[in-house]
Amino acid sequence: MGHSVVGPCVSGDWERVVGSATCCLPDESDLTLRSRIPLTVIGGFLGAGKTTLLNYWLRESRGKRFAVLVNDFGAINIDAALIASADSDTIALTNGCVCCSIGDDLSQALIRVLDASPPFDGIVIEASGVSDPWRIAQIGLAEPGLSLDGVIVLLDAQALADNLANPLLRDSIERPLAHADLVVLNKVDLADDAALETARDWIRRNAPSVHCCETTNAEIALPLLSGAHLTSESNTAPPHDCHEHCEHPEHAHSSVAHDQQFATWSCAPSRVYSLVDVKAWLKAPPAGVLRLKGFVETQEYGWSEVQFSGRTGSVRRALASPANPRTAALVAIGLNGSLPVAALISYWT
Amino acid sequence: MPNITVYRAKVIHTLNPMQPTATHVAVRDGRILAVGDLAQASAWGAFELDERFADKVLLPGFVEGHCHLKEGGMWDSPYLGWFDRRDPKGKVWPGLRSRDAVVARLHEIDAEMAARGEPEAKPIIAWGFDPIYFGGERMTVDHLDRVGNGKRPIVIAHANGHLLNANSAMLRWAEISSETEVEGVVKFSEGALAGEPTGELQEPAAMFLVIRKVGNAGLIAPMDDNGMAGFAAICRAQGVTTATDLVNTLGEADLAVLERATGDDNYSVRILPAFKAFHGTHGAAAGAEHVKALMPRSTDRLRFGLVKMMLDGSIQGFSARLRWPGHFNGAPNGIWVTAPSQYEADFETYHRAGLTIHTHTNGDEASLVAIDAIERVLARAPRPDHRHTLQHGQMIDAPMFKRMASLGLCANLFANHLWYWGDQHYEMTMGPDRANRLDACQSALNAGVPLAIHSDAPVTPLAPLFTAWCAVNRVTPSGRVLGANERLSVMDALRAITIGPAYTLKLDHEIGSIECGKRADFAVLEDDPFAVASNALKDVRVWGTVLSGRVFPAIGNAS
Repeated sequence: MGHSVVGPCVSGDWERVVGSATCCLPDESDLTLRSRIPLTVIGGFLGAGKTTLLNYWLRESRGKRFAVLVNDFGAINIDAALIASADSDTIALTNGCVCCSIGDDLSQALIRVLDASPPFDGIVIEASGVSDPWRIAQIGLAEPGLSLDGVIVLLDAQALADNLANPLLRDSIERPLAHADLVVLNKVDLADDAALETARDWIRRNAPSVHCCETTNAEIALPLLSGAHLTSESNTAPPHDCHEHCEHPEHAHSSVAHDQQFATWSCAPSRVYSLVDVKAWLKAPPAGVLRLKGFVETQEYGWSEVQFSGRTGSVRRALASPANPRTAALVAIGLNGSLPVAALISYWT
Repeated sequence: MPNITVYRAKVIHTLNPMQPTATHVAVRDGRILAVGDLAQASAWGAFELDERFADKVLLPGFVEGHCHLKEGGMWDSPYLGWFDRRDPKGKVWPGLRSRDAVVARLHEIDAEMAARGEPEAKPIIAWGFDPIYFGGERMTVDHLDRVGNGKRPIVIAHANGHLLNANSAMLRWAEISSETEVEGVVKFSEGALAGEPTGELQEPAAMFLVIRKVGNAGLIAPMDDNGMAGFAAICRAQGVTTATDLVNTLGEADLAVLERATGDDNYSVRILPAFKAFHGTHGAAAGAEHVKALMPRSTDRLRFGLVKMMLDGSIQGFSARLRWPGHFNGAPNGIWVTAPSQYEADFETYHRAGLTIHTHTNGDEASLVAIDAIERVLARAPRPDHRHTLQHGQMIDAPMFKRMASLGLCANLFANHLWYWGDQHYEMTMGPDRANRLDACQSALNAGVPLAIHSDAPVTPLAPLFTAWCAVNRVTPSGRVLGANERLSVMDALRAITIGPAYTLKLDHEIGSIECGKRADFAVLEDDPFAVASNALKDVRVWGTVLSGRVFPAIGNAS
């Protein structure tokens, strides 16, 4: 029987969630040791808010070092106060993150950040119109040093109906949804009720199994964006102390965190699984799991890294064995009240 | 020593319709002083008569309005294509018509590397392979592992840029195995190797695993001095005196390479790099400023000012944007490289900055989006003589050409496609009707659209006479003639590789025909393109070039 923890986080925001999870995990958890670097790919049509999201992501890194690769380097507009140095294809931020131009060659840009020392905590790629985000996302499944952390597709709530009515654009809007792990319906504040309902209805029909969050200014709870924030040791940054309805722009993220309700669950699995079995579970995990990551033992691979995000799961050989097998951990996150704790316990412990 | 040189030629085809032929041309200060007979050419006083072209034919130096410098930078890697191809040293690499032939060439290369003492771990990185011509049979490790002792990693890049083949040694190095679970790692479905990778790696994710190991080598290496020299050598061998590099980020490293090469008086071709104004390093406003700031750095051999934008993908890659009825084989419509609204906004910024914009539009829907956007931009911001050009424009029909003429748009059509992918367009991508109006050169001229034709080298080889041959004959490898009524006359085809592209580059006052005042740029030919059969146009032999009065024989010819 593995060590199992449930972290119901009724009070809501992410700092509390992580706090709750942390206190219950084994002290010297191996969750973050020897992990592959999580790779996230952002898709979405012009105007959906990709650049805004990437700016937010870089700004709100909470002590994690992210490398963000973008197509339209000229469009990135990072607050000058956050910039440590900049040249023609790289901007280094004071918080340790970097933003790099993909230029002509995604491979070379990605190799540069993969080879960085110390390694980044996460890599984010903005997919251009040239590339279906899924084509790029598979690098996260293939490259030994990466794990696929998810495909996030942004939609412009205000423009969606018009874009779908335009035969030139409809297929370009629809296609990326096929492999989305998370749909972000952005600019909901700018859309009228009818447009919003049209957008929600279209998403329900076209991506019925995918979690959709609605945002303004592309501000999303960090654990939904990135597995790098789904660790037992994250968030060394102090929780901000604004009041409930703070509208200070620097703290705009808080409105998201305040009204989102996440729950995490973690355990230290002690049994040895069959690969086929784990793959089957990852193909159709119980409803309510938004993300899951960690280490388990399989008969075929020995120590194995398990990863699930949205609708894509993978299990691959761990890069090394945990120093203390007892502390190898698995963590899952879902909306509070929707996380299928009983099913998680029954399979993973 | 007089400063006037008069060249005598067997015949000079000036492509100036007011004076179509001559026998003598006088050159002073790198420019054409006089054209005609000896009496006319010697009218300016003391001259030196140069007889070296007495048995040769002069045409204006050819202008390649859509190619890339990379054409000269591929040749450190072996070529494995189905078609013959000439390298910068003049060596013709025969086309390989079977997988066994591919293996045999790789075997030779492996042996040469071994003889030179190259370590076994040094990979072979080859290019140009295209299974589309092998009737659906795929290359696998079965074939590639037969090369040498099987220990040297081998990577073969396919011509379309979207696939690689690797041998088992390369797969092991890249850690690709039966456990690698991504769609692009093709695996044997049956037999002793069922479940093992075949070595064919499709699309970015699978290819990345190989690129990660072989590094910044081969085809993805940045442009360097050798590549620049190789490009110039190919241009000399093909009679080209002016060529675009039709997408360049124009960063400091790019500029250093361009300025170092073209700063040498012995550099034999004039280069026009076009600034990459999509997915680039600059927003549109900053990009326009960047280009304008570079323009004062222009020299005779290096001209800044062009801007490149891109709307869709490629037809044979099924990523072009097509109108109804879409792809012949039912494939879904292609992709927008730039969203139409972004294109219009950025186009307007560069247009208002006074720059000339060349837009990649392959499919007819993309061409239509460009025409619609440019029409609106021109209504908001009229600008005489802008010479904006649609590049490739392979599916543009007569009504669109008429609109282009009204708007002052030029067309640079991808005539080489008629030969290289004509059969595939007929059978797979667009079907007979639209394949018959593929690269509709005559329709463009009928509508009054200024016309150029191009190779998009290295996508197809840089060779304007071959490009002209394609437009004149419209024949495919299987012997089809695609749209006989779209065939150009030899004269119109030669104009489309000289004065036509010069016009799209706003250089027709300087180059593109042989007449007084223009640059002394000549293609020096051994045969007369007007005297040979039109189906032999591609076989006309090129001796070399003259660029701004300097004589540059092709490799193997003495000056």
